[in-house]
Amino acid sequence: MTVIDIPAAADPTRMNRERGARLRTAMAGQGVDALILLGNNAVTYATGASWPLGDSGLAHVDRPVAVVVADDPLPHLFMPFREGTSAQSPLPADHVHPPVYLEFDEGVRNFAAVLADLVPGGARVAVDEVTGAMRGARKALFPGGPPVDAALVLTVAKMIKTPDELACIRTALRITERAMADIAGSLAPGMRQIDLSAAFVRRAYEHGALANVLDPIWQVMPDSRAAGVWTTHGDLALPLLTTERELARGDVLWTDVSINYAGYCSDFGRTWIVGQDPNPRQRAQFTKWWDIHTAVKDVLRAGATAADLTRAAVAANGGSKPWLPHFYLGHGMGTDPAEMPFVGTDLGEEFDAQLVLEAGMVLVLEPVVWEDGTGGYRSEEVLVIEEEGWTALTDYSYAPYGD
Amino acid sequence: MATEVLPDDRALRSGRRERALAHMEAHDLDVLVLGRSANVRYVTGARGLWTAGTHPFAPAAVVVRATGAIHMLSTWDEGIPDDIPHEQLYGLTWNPMNWVTVIRDIEGAATARRVGTDTISPTFAQLLPLAFPFAELVDGEPAMRAARRVKTAEEVSALRQAIGVAEASLAAAVSELRPGVTEQHLSGVLLEAAAAGGVTTPATQEVAWVTSRDHPWRRVGGDGRVSPGDLVSLTAGVVAGGYIGEVGRTWPVEGGDPAAVRDLYRRSAGLWTLLFDACRPGAPTSDLLAVYDTAGEPLPPMPVARGLGLGFDPPVVTSGLPATAAEERLEPGMALAVTGYVWRRGAGAVLRREAVLITPDGAELLTSSPVWKR
Repeated sequence: MTVIDIPAAADPTRMNRERGARLRTAMAGQGVDALILLGNNAVTYATGASWPLGDSGLAHVDRPVAVVVADDPLPHLFMPFREGTSAQSPLPADHVHPPVYLEFDEGVRNFAAVLADLVPGGARVAVDEVTGAMRGARKALFPGGPPVDAALVLTVAKMIKTPDELACIRTALRITERAMADIAGSLAPGMRQIDLSAAFVRRAYEHGALANVLDPIWQVMPDSRAAGVWTTHGDLALPLLTTERELARGDVLWTDVSINYAGYCSDFGRTWIVGQDPNPRQRAQFTKWWDIHTAVKDVLRAGATAADLTRAAVAANGGSKPWLPHFYLGHGMGTDPAEMPFVGTDLGEEFDAQLVLEAGMVLVLEPVVWEDGTGGYRSEEVLVIEEEGWTALTDYSYAPYGD
Repeated sequence: MATEVLPDDRALRSGRRERALAHMEAHDLDVLVLGRSANVRYVTGARGLWTAGTHPFAPAAVVVRATGAIHMLSTWDEGIPDDIPHEQLYGLTWNPMNWVTVIRDIEGAATARRVGTDTISPTFAQLLPLAFPFAELVDGEPAMRAARRVKTAEEVSALRQAIGVAEASLAAAVSELRPGVTEQHLSGVLLEAAAAGGVTTPATQEVAWVTSRDHPWRRVGGDGRVSPGDLVSLTAGVVAGGYIGEVGRTWPVEGGDPAAVRDLYRRSAGLWTLLFDACRPGAPTSDLLAVYDTAGEPLPPMPVARGLGLGFDPPVVTSGLPATAAEERLEPGMALAVTGYVWRRGAGAVLRREAVLITPDGAELLTSSPVWKR
């Protein structure tokens, strides 16, 4: 049985080369000659540039842009000055350009002039976002006709991770797990949710995170579904935002955090209880979760469909779906915290039946179980799919519910 | 921050909505479909889940001008203001066709003539016409930008609070500055302090930076560890109550050439005086660029000024957009983050970022963090 050999540390040059090749294969498959990428995570994937991501509002004016041309093995990067992180670019000088400001007519005109030299006139162009200013200049930007959606190209390229990408994801997970172990060790009644967030971000940075990705979640679960907040579907809400709420003994917390390392996200979810051990009913929730998660892992391998996974989960849960209606049983993860493959979403059963899993895909399994009066149980497990099964990337205990 | 998830204050919400509706009318928009977090917060007054970096476009809020109704993406009602009833909430979906179904059923969609979006993806450019069968799809961001550029009194008050948190967290990081600490440690300290101060959502996570003695702005070499004689820039940016508060300072670490350090801070102070003088109502924003020339300092590669608000707001004043800067005028009620940047070979850089409010007769400095003085 061959198992993916994940290096101890990623080789950035090899990672860039292999991602570039995947991207160009996906472009060829969709008949795309050039990509224009504005999304932060798409730029990271295409260029290897990573930086501490900020708020989306500022990111619109202060963001790197990538241009990938099919017959050039190297991408072009339009890079703003990044305070504190403007390290040497992995690209040669003639592929690194001054920043562009695609929110403004003048910025789009400047960009179109440079683009005309990079992209052949009749090229079929794909883009992931068209700002208002870009829309106004579409004839100059896209002389070959209306652009197609670059998200479709990115989805295909990103779906299977190279061993170096897996190394980055594993490192992101280790940093997260070390930070969360510190938090778990200090968890006590009287602490506020934001105290946990403060400690988490401090620890994550000290253990090597490039950036925090998600406002950390420490959701106190209600005693019953009916006692929880109103939802459009009548099931549980998740994730509810962090406040200065003080934690009380016995509160059941569904935690969810994510950080970025070298452009790759982690995902961590565990259920904790504040200041006490689970009672027998609560342990039974964990056992049920464990059974569901094991049933899914038993059918998980290259060649299985997403529908095989949802069927196994539903069967292990006695016939109903063990996940929340607005989410999924599982999702992929890479430069985006949630990306394809999605398993069990409202894309529908037919979509799941046609989605064939392959070796090298990353899957975050996150079934939930719920019984009123227990606080339920939810954990997230990050796995990489192998020819004959899977390898766990998450390495963290289920305390206080189990090892 | 409170112990429960609360919507923005009613006065803040209603002031913003009035401005948004007025600018929809001025831009002849029947419906706005908004995907950007800042715009969504502006019209809904509801706090969303913060995730880092840009987000792909999805219709997260829909504003109908005729009824004033706001529909929004939220699977639950926690933190949603009571003027957005349950019937106007729609749940998270992964299926693009489900977006179409939800939006098509909104009252006013079927008859809308002009529908603006704040940005768009090629996929949604194809899908949205299915939800608005008789509408022309246009750029709605100018209307939102016009609404956002001038702050209401309640917005200014929210900005002051955000700046307060940014300044307190900056002070926490400055107090840890000494030879041997890492940029990573300083970043962790600053972000921890902001979170402990009630703000778990950073505007920027690029916090601490040992400035280069060899290159005007690029980071050259170094292991991220602070050494004697370094000039270390610290920028604090937080999103508090949705509003971005920013401040930036540079502190010298003992052991540098005192004359060179004094010279840099003298240049930085001189530049700042000129920048602040250029912040006056009616002035073209290009005055802020011209100040660098007057001071004999090269223009830095980052924006010299940009609007502060829920995200980036107009104006954005940068060497890359000279014509835009010449056309744009400062107005009372604009809030700006203004950056002074000077560099000296062999010593490093001094970055200073202040928050400024343009007033009817001049400008008010909103930041008050100490500046290094010999």
